[in-house]
Amino acid sequence: MPNDVSEASHVHEASFRDPSGYMFWDGDVLRRAVNPIYFPQYKKLQDSGFFETLIKKELLIPHEETLVSDDKIVLTPEPIPFITHPYEWSFEQYKHAALLTLQIQKYALSKGFILKDASAYNVTFHKGKAVFIDTLSFDFYEEGTPWRAYKQFITHFLGPLVLAKFHGMDMIKMMQSHIDGIPIQLIASLLPGKTKLSSVLYTNIHLLAKMEQKHHTDYKAETKISKISKKAQENIITSLFEYIKKLKCEEETEWGNYYQKINYNDTAFKAKKDLIQDWVNSVTAKKVIDIGGNDGTFGRTIIDDVDELLVTDIDSGAVAYNYQQLQQNGETKMLPFVCDVLQPVPGIGFNNTERDSLIDRLVNYKPDVVMALALIHHITLSGNVPFEKSAAFFAKFSTHLIIEFPKREDSWVESLLVRKREFKEHFDFYRWESFEKGYESYFKIVKKEFIADSNRILYLLENRTK
Amino acid sequence: MSEFLMIPLYFDPGLGAMIAQAVVAAAAGILLFSKNVMYKIKSFLGLIKEEEDQYDSIDIDDEDAK
Repeated sequence: MPNDVSEASHVHEASFRDPSGYMFWDGDVLRRAVNPIYFPQYKKLQDSGFFETLIKKELLIPHEETLVSDDKIVLTPEPIPFITHPYEWSFEQYKHAALLTLQIQKYALSKGFILKDASAYNVTFHKGKAVFIDTLSFDFYEEGTPWRAYKQFITHFLGPLVLAKFHGMDMIKMMQSHIDGIPIQLIASLLPGKTKLSSVLYTNIHLLAKMEQKHHTDYKAETKISKISKKAQENIITSLFEYIKKLKCEEETEWGNYYQKINYNDTAFKAKKDLIQDWVNSVTAKKVIDIGGNDGTFGRTIIDDVDELLVTDIDSGAVAYNYQQLQQNGETKMLPFVCDVLQPVPGIGFNNTERDSLIDRLVNYKPDVVMALALIHHITLSGNVPFEKSAAFFAKFSTHLIIEFPKREDSWVESLLVRKREFKEHFDFYRWESFEKGYESYFKIVKKEFIADSNRILYLLENRTK
Repeated sequence: MSEFLMIPLYFDPGLGAMIAQAVVAAAAGILLFSKNVMYKIKSFLGLIKEEEDQYDSIDIDDEDAK
């Protein structure tokens, strides 16, 4: 967050493409300015009840008009505590974001509007649901014109989803290196030949790639664009909706079947749960993040005591399972997303600031408690990260850290050590004594408990550097 | 709605993509039509099993938003 005085320097780093308006920081509050060029659209959307319907349906983020003048309208949207990016979503979440975009485009068409862009960044997850956050993404529909955000929808949504279906969730991470969607030629070339037999994939991807290839040298814009009726556009949207709704990613759907809940017996589970509840309450934590929190099992033991709970895991299957549970239970505090601690999401886009890195977002989020349960042995032994380094990482965004240390005798640690073979001795430092020493310069130990009936120690640490 | 100016484009919609939509729409139309016909035949023969899914319908109902 910038702290200069002029408004221009407060403009949100991702807000420069669309001339309709921009987001800016007013102190700690994020507001949206509407430029005069967009007044006709904005007024029609507001007065016709278009915004109101979408907001009541919880499909669009609610906003209030804070200021109306001749040269600017300022809106204050409901704050979203933590923004997740498309490459941090599980397949199911990604699907929901795609379906929401189509739903909104179809509704817009029926009211004489269109979505003028279909970027995946227009959607995020808030209160347990996908929500559209770009209030100024609408424009007037002009009879007979094709949907100009169509290609964007394909490269931001359909493409990544279909690639993940055929090649796994790693394909979603390609969105990280392609901020404006995966190039259509690349999507087409990566899909198996049999996808040409699907009428939806043939037309929306392979044919599209061919047409784009054919016309990309039309520098003088001489080619005539044929008109297409509103009904024809609705057909495209509906068929994409039906197709995406049925998409599945095997990697994720199989996850719930083989997952053995935890490497604990009941006594240890309960002991750990009681300690965590006690400690979270002792620091009156309202915002908690559980890093490596799997499907949210432990997070849910404290969910009644907090306002917001972020749960990350490296495995999108676990994230998807968590997301499925929160939908079934109608939970609004839980926000699951994918995160690889050894390789946290970097800042991407122009100037590396358009989409924030995970660490920047966590620093701004200021969680009251960070939990890292049964994670340190992965960081240290799988990632070869020294204790001092992981301490520095957690210290960046934690005031209180609940960290669980599995001792050398723990079965998971043993198996990680055995796999080191002749280098096993190199990891002799993996002991709780050296862990405490490594964390000493960043954290002080507030509580330390040996978890009953297990080979694990639970620590409550407090950041010295904050 | 042509009395209003549209917002200038700030990204390339892709000329090929604009042209392709006519063909994509035609294919989608045929697909949806044939699915609809199959659905009617199946339901006439009593072969339809109602499948529940967790997804909302694509259509947003104005009425119950009020």
